[in-house]
Amino acid sequence: MAAKDDRKSVGVEFVKGFWKENPILVMLLGMCPTLAVTTSVINGLTMGLAVVFVLTCSSLIVSIVRNIIPKQVRIPVFIVIIATFVTMVDLFLKAFLLDLSKALGPFIPLIVVNCIILGRAEAFASKKGVFLSVVDALGVSFGFTITLIILGGIREVLGMRTFFGHPVLGEGFEPWIVMLLPPGAFITLGLLLGVKNSIDKRLKEKRSR
Amino acid sequence: MEVILIFISAVLVNNFVLSYFLGICPFIGVSERIESSVSMGFAVTFVLTLSAAITWLINNYILIAFNVPFLQYVSFIIVIAALVQFVEMFIRKTSKTLYDALGIYLPLITTNCAILGLALFGALRAYSFIENIVFGIGAGLGFTLALVIMAGIREELDLADVPEPLKGAAITLIIAGLLALAFMGFAGLISV
Amino acid sequence: MNRRLKMLLIMTLFACISGGVLSLVYLISAPLIEANMLEEERRSILNVVPGIDSYEERIEGEMKYFECKDASGFVVGYALPAKGNGYQGVIKLMVGLTPDLSEITGISILEQVETPGLGGRISEQVFQDQFQGIKTEPAVGYVKNQAPDKDTDIQAVTGATISSRSVVTIINRNIVKFREIL
Repeated sequence: MAAKDDRKSVGVEFVKGFWKENPILVMLLGMCPTLAVTTSVINGLTMGLAVVFVLTCSSLIVSIVRNIIPKQVRIPVFIVIIATFVTMVDLFLKAFLLDLSKALGPFIPLIVVNCIILGRAEAFASKKGVFLSVVDALGVSFGFTITLIILGGIREVLGMRTFFGHPVLGEGFEPWIVMLLPPGAFITLGLLLGVKNSIDKRLKEKRSR
Repeated sequence: MEVILIFISAVLVNNFVLSYFLGICPFIGVSERIESSVSMGFAVTFVLTLSAAITWLINNYILIAFNVPFLQYVSFIIVIAALVQFVEMFIRKTSKTLYDALGIYLPLITTNCAILGLALFGALRAYSFIENIVFGIGAGLGFTLALVIMAGIREELDLADVPEPLKGAAITLIIAGLLALAFMGFAGLISV
Repeated sequence: MNRRLKMLLIMTLFACISGGVLSLVYLISAPLIEANMLEEERRSILNVVPGIDSYEERIEGEMKYFECKDASGFVVGYALPAKGNGYQGVIKLMVGLTPDLSEITGISILEQVETPGLGGRISEQVFQDQFQGIKTEPAVGYVKNQAPDKDTDIQAVTGATISSRSVVTIINRNIVKFREIL
């Protein structure tokens, strides 16, 4: 019985990050990389995967060491752990994917202060076991990644006529350059939030009927 | 001259919130009332200026001097966290009024990307000590400006008829987009 | 006291572990990063000064440049790394010049953070190719929205005059400085 409950909660912890507790669309966390790097799908994807790595690794470590850290110093210790993994990602990108590393620039180090990561470490990994913490981290960070891809997709298609660098809209379509600029980022995300809210409302009405 | 350019650029042209997306979390969270935005803005400006000075010293006299650039992120974030803690303690001990006004915002500042962002941009652009401090003050004032304008709009928004699904954060983001569009008009202000 | 000591110890411990792990990762990745940079440098030099066999780094005061030689050891041109402010941030580029510095043999934009879709188009090959064969005397210039009719001019990217002008300014400034030391 207990095992069944566990399995169920693993599923729940994983899936919730995609919709119900989507870090960007519901919790409004990690906005700064969300808006800044989603000028193209590949940038969004790279940023998302970097966050998947950092969040999963730091959740793992935090949930292992949570019992030996005095409460008063937990935040500084968490931050050091997170910054360590972020530096690793940064060095890795510089060593193997120089062009992407240049495109993302200072937004890779800014993962350190991405509230999603500290938030998950504080709210989940510091209280729960190793396995659940990792599952939670994976769910939330993949939810984050997918949202980045959607946002990057919309902006790249409308702003550059391409998707993953491949042309998808014909020459007849004049690219909306504003989509690549800061205003496009804000407005697209705002509309995306609106879409999610109205879908949620529909679902709720359906259920109550 | 260079210093003035850096200042204007940080406040208006490359506004931290509206063109670098730094400090968006408090921008959306705190910008509901003008008074609280002003307090938050000044708290951030204060910490930004201090951390601009300290991170510059660390970067140039420790990280570059001892050739350990890979410790940059870890040391910057520790210094910022410690600095925020210290400022909070200092204000609590010295000025009750200031603490009441800024107190609750200070802990939020550690995870404000603007602080670390400033340290990183400053290091990347290899500013001199004075330039880095001016950059910090400018970025802080730019943040305050964006926050206060946003709060002014949102106070009026309470009376507006916003479509149901866009209420809350969604409409705030769309307004931020329009503000960013307006701020792009400052781009021609500086030319090389 | 005991609790404080424990707090201090734990924090120091984590800081040390973090420092240790990072030094290790850095030691492994540093040679790769270095090789990446050198490779990029090499590619950009070969790109801007065509038909060369070898190049040599020279440093004169604050200026760094590359002397490019053909197979028989003749100096056939110079490659000059340059940087300056663009519209949104620093632009880094490499300029190739003939031995008498009168003509540009090519440029290569190495780094820029200009607006994607507008100023960012200075990275496009079409824009960079325009610089081939451009005369540097009296100075490189640019025109807007039309094909240039002088042999010192290039055409600015539409809607991104400031970024285009920045590139031209960076090139001019560095050629002037380079003339003085050569």
